[in-house]
Amino acid sequence: MPKALTLLLDFDDQYRRDVQQSHAFLHRRDRRFAQQQEAHQQPLTVPDWLAALHALNGQRRNGKRDPRLRPWRQARWVFAALGALLGAGFMVGLLWYDGSRQINLTLLIALVGLQLLLALLTSLQAWLGWQPWGSLLGPRQSDDPLASLRPGLCARIAHTGGVMFAVSGLMTLLLLVVAQDLAFGWSTTLQASADSYHRLVMALALPWQELWPAAVPSPELVSASQFYRLEGASPANPAMLGAWWPFVLMLWLVYVLLPRLVLLMLAALQVRWQAARALRAHPGWQGLFYRFETPWVETRGEEDSQPAPVVAKTVLSPLPDSATLIHWAGAGQDSAPLAASLSRAPAPLHLRAGGNSSLEDDQQVIRQAGERRDAVILVTRGWEPPTGELSDFIVDARDLWPAATLLALVPLADEAGSALRDEGLLAQWQRFVDRQGDSQLLLCAPREQETA
Amino acid sequence: MNETTVSLPRFAVVGHPNKGKSSVVATLAQNDSIAIAMEPGTTRDSHRYPMTVDDVTLYELIDTPGFQRPRKVLAWLQGHSLSASDRPDTVAAFVTQHADDPRYHDECELLRPIVGGAGIIYVVDGSVPYNREHEAEMNILRWTGRPSLALINQIGSDDHSADWDAALGQYFQIVRRFDAVRAPFEKHLDLLRSFGQLAPDWREPLDAALEYLQALKFGRDSQALEHVADALIDMLGHQESARLGEHESAGPMLPRLRQRWQNWQREREQRLRRSVEDLYQHRRLQRQESDLLTPDDGDLFSERTRQLWGISKTQLAAAGFGAGAVGGAGLDAVTLGHSLGTGALIGGLLGAAGSYYYSDKLTRLKLGPLSGGFREAVYGPLKDPQFAYVVLGRALVHSYEVSQRNHAGRDVLVVNEAGDHWLEKMDRKDRQRLHKTLQSLANRKFEPGKRQRLIEQLEQAQLAFAEWQMEQFEGS
Repeated sequence: MPKALTLLLDFDDQYRRDVQQSHAFLHRRDRRFAQQQEAHQQPLTVPDWLAALHALNGQRRNGKRDPRLRPWRQARWVFAALGALLGAGFMVGLLWYDGSRQINLTLLIALVGLQLLLALLTSLQAWLGWQPWGSLLGPRQSDDPLASLRPGLCARIAHTGGVMFAVSGLMTLLLLVVAQDLAFGWSTTLQASADSYHRLVMALALPWQELWPAAVPSPELVSASQFYRLEGASPANPAMLGAWWPFVLMLWLVYVLLPRLVLLMLAALQVRWQAARALRAHPGWQGLFYRFETPWVETRGEEDSQPAPVVAKTVLSPLPDSATLIHWAGAGQDSAPLAASLSRAPAPLHLRAGGNSSLEDDQQVIRQAGERRDAVILVTRGWEPPTGELSDFIVDARDLWPAATLLALVPLADEAGSALRDEGLLAQWQRFVDRQGDSQLLLCAPREQETA
Repeated sequence: MNETTVSLPRFAVVGHPNKGKSSVVATLAQNDSIAIAMEPGTTRDSHRYPMTVDDVTLYELIDTPGFQRPRKVLAWLQGHSLSASDRPDTVAAFVTQHADDPRYHDECELLRPIVGGAGIIYVVDGSVPYNREHEAEMNILRWTGRPSLALINQIGSDDHSADWDAALGQYFQIVRRFDAVRAPFEKHLDLLRSFGQLAPDWREPLDAALEYLQALKFGRDSQALEHVADALIDMLGHQESARLGEHESAGPMLPRLRQRWQNWQREREQRLRRSVEDLYQHRRLQRQESDLLTPDDGDLFSERTRQLWGISKTQLAAAGFGAGAVGGAGLDAVTLGHSLGTGALIGGLLGAAGSYYYSDKLTRLKLGPLSGGFREAVYGPLKDPQFAYVVLGRALVHSYEVSQRNHAGRDVLVVNEAGDHWLEKMDRKDRQRLHKTLQSLANRKFEPGKRQRLIEQLEQAQLAFAEWQMEQFEGS
């Protein structure tokens, strides 16, 4: 089997393996190969690419033939053997001669013509891709890389059988010529004269009349060879009738063997050409050359694997009574209903820290709140994550405040003062309280605001 | 620091926690693994996202943690600076001095690349009102003396970007608005182009990078269509077969083969989905689409999907009836009133109508000749032209959505169904050609050599689909 077929199958195998891979991997791999070839001034070809991949995978081409080609190879052998057998049988049958009458050249010429016609039809079918008997080969799988090559492969097998048929027939003819006294004649029901029959055989002998004049029957031979079965009389010169054998030999050679050989070569070329075309039309071809020719552009960088967040332990506590409210970065400062829901005191102290306040302002707020010796409510924007500054503020406050001072952290859902309900947002505040490790730090929600 | 490092454009994306820094980086780096909602307060390092072409880096994005203690950092800087000229050195000194201080870990992580020569991309949320609490951060960044660009990212629905624009203009060389989740690809390129304007040396590599990124997008769009074409070839021509004994009845085999056939189709469609998503480097995409395994709700073969995507039974019946009753130009008159415009039908009207009736006969198995005591029972391909349009329509919606989606997007990708038909946007002849090709696939008469032609036809279909999608978007 030609390399083109093996290449196609190899490529298809690699394509099927690659389908499972990511585009990024394939692009990097093939672009790298293309760059290496360019660096070594080597051509960028599919066989080289496959060889490089095989080498990387430790695969060795051990000369074993592809098992998918085995049925085609076996079919070729079977057809060759059958051809040889049938060719000998055909010729023995055709030249069967018991001495009672001559071997009819008209029948022989007709059968030679039939052989030629069959050979041409075989090739025509393959060229047109028409296989009315294709179902005999089994169902046509859509993923079979050889599917489009079936007609060509079939033609090649048929022509192999045809060549063996012709060779075997030729050998049998020569054997019979040597071993027997063959007497040829011609006979037809049609009203054909010896002249017109001579013109026919002259036309048939045109290809070799210069090459081998002895293989061109003379008018006398044609005239002397006509026979009628009813006559039953023996010809005047029986030895003369054997002189037809060079013509028969050349007839077989030129109109049976030679066309089969030529068509077999054409079928082989067709298979090779179609395999190359199938390779170029293969779904993986265009993608491969795109990867060869296109620079590998990487933007993703390193993969960012985020560790799963720690499970929060802190739960929401009841809001302690307090008359001291600290608004972190001004959170909920302008909401009167919020103040009512946070403190039952008639005039709670509102302080502001964080945000655009200065660090000195923060210290002042801590001092002010600590002097009241009361629980403190620290209001924050729940949709913004707790920062290190807030953590520092709490730590600084602990240093100045009495140890038992309760600090209630109240993250809001909005500036109006709604309680934070979003579990994801609440979880980051729960974890923040966990990290502080402060037993007097509570996570609270505003009280439900009473409707009038 | 060698020359290469100096000339390499590097951009540190910095800002207050949770203002969309990672979203910006995820979109520009086309990396959906970047944590979008990282919880501040947990230890976090900077992450580098170089843009490389064949291993040559053209620029580098650095995602950084947010500022945790900006007022204290600014106070430290002010306390250690003598004059304006020593400010960059003072910032560098801060990073050096606090390299091992866990309290300033985040500030060191975000300032280190800037001190090392990176440009500053400062991200704020334009959907919240401007307030002065960010001034400490902006002052620190101004102290570094590095080229800087402010990015107003729109996280919520309110728009305060005008106020931000005015305020940020006092601190940064360039101010841009950018919606990291929804900005189209052209806006990504515009933004990168403005990065290149920050320093004269950066313009050339950034321009080169833009060309590569454009080519990459173009290549991905083309490859996506190749994947769609291959899936169509596989799906429309697919057959399931089984061997039957000489005296075995074909009846019990039918449901098994049909089930196998449908499962195979669904699996193949999902493979197409994954391969298109992989192509655009969406690796963590959650998808919501009509479940192919639930026949009653949006199933590939359900009547509802048939009507949403394909040509309705009524239309086909009318076309089929018209084909018998009128001829020639009359066919157009019968069919043009329908929403499809029936371009897909006109090319092979009789064939389409005939195929429609075929669909109801598909429950029959094709039996092969008896061979060796067995016959081959074959199910498929489905000759109903609607099937091809259903598969094609779903594939185009998906690839369109994926190609337009930014890597910062965290919402589930909804592969919508369409109530109108995008095929109307295709040129009449293109529709006919596409229809013929789809028919040849369903008839298993498609030659592999015509794959490129199919891809070209799909390009037309994709353009028509995009046009139709834009109209739907503008109309909504």
